[in-house]
Amino acid sequence: MPASIYHELKKLRAAGLPAAVATIVEVKGSVPREVGAKMIIHPYGKHIGTVGGGCGEAEVIRAGLDVLQDGRPRNIQVDLTEEISMQSLGVCGGTMTVFVEAWQESS
Amino acid sequence: MSDRILDQLVDAIERRQTAALLTVTAADGDYAPCLGRRCLLWPDAEREPAGDLGLGALAHNVLADAREALEVREHRLLSYSRPEGTVAVFVEVQAQPPHLIIAGAGHIAAPLAAIAHTCDFQVTVLDDRPQYARPERFPHARVIAGPFREELRALRGQGPGLGENDYIVLVTRGHQHDIDCLLEVLDDPLAYIGMIGSRRRVHAVFELLEREQGIPAAKFDRVHAPIGLDIGARTPAEIAVCIMAEIINVQRGGPAESLSEQIRRARQARRERAANRP
Repeated sequence: MPASIYHELKKLRAAGLPAAVATIVEVKGSVPREVGAKMIIHPYGKHIGTVGGGCGEAEVIRAGLDVLQDGRPRNIQVDLTEEISMQSLGVCGGTMTVFVEAWQESS
Repeated sequence: MSDRILDQLVDAIERRQTAALLTVTAADGDYAPCLGRRCLLWPDAEREPAGDLGLGALAHNVLADAREALEVREHRLLSYSRPEGTVAVFVEVQAQPPHLIIAGAGHIAAPLAAIAHTCDFQVTVLDDRPQYARPERFPHARVIAGPFREELRALRGQGPGLGENDYIVLVTRGHQHDIDCLLEVLDDPLAYIGMIGSRRRVHAVFELLEREQGIPAAKFDRVHAPIGLDIGARTPAEIAVCIMAEIINVQRGGPAESLSEQIRRARQARRERAANRP
């Protein structure tokens, strides 16, 4: 069985590294990944998993780094409904809600 | 507290136990302090959930709704609006990974085992030829070298037996072995049974089994034979892709039509004609 994202999270925790976890909790229309898809945002950029790649994921990574700073969980709306053009390569047509949280002792 | 939840979750995944992780993803009003809290819910209703969402009287409803999601193995975002405030809880179901049994360790089995592993299936490969049923050929699968029917029977006898989480592909070196394996599992509630063979051959095999073994014709309706989706596959690796595509189509309830659909329809039409005959 492939090691789950929770195994990776446990390893990071054991190494004393803080990590944020992003989860797709809701989708509308066409998006690159399904509800339940998860990603670990690593403080030094060694992210694990994907919530769909591209600009949307970049937004989620930024949110993850913010969460690592302030510890406050949040929902990120990723909008992939822009006009199709040469500038916007990752357009799928839908929107998704991604919950971003830190896994830490106090919670 | 999170650590305890993480430990128990990892433990459940390793033991291939199903569990649901509940997380409060939005909360305001009186519920605001609950944001980010988690708990683990088990399929066994008697077992106490690990952790507490801190939702007070609402917890009862949340756990009942989460249990429903757990039962159908579906992630779900639950929302509640009460005079005290609003809450959203994400229910993430950690289901057992699906299990693919490949009977026959030949040229299709090798790429199929690799692709199935990549698609997060647990894979078991079975063959009576030890020179083929070798772990080096199948680095990501459990490999069993032994007689087909006996080994399949042993697999059926383990734990709860074969069921809706199990998929089987029959690609042995000879049709007699495929048929032996088919007869062994035909009454199990498997998610998928696929058997290789040309349309003509499959048709003849089903008729023979009906005639000589008295097996009701309808029992073969759920057998995917000829196996796979029609993508024009030719090489063993391409055939493995076409088999895996069919398995995903079954698993996800996709709209693609299987190669076996034509035979199934023809056999059903013939049965109906026979039933309507005076």
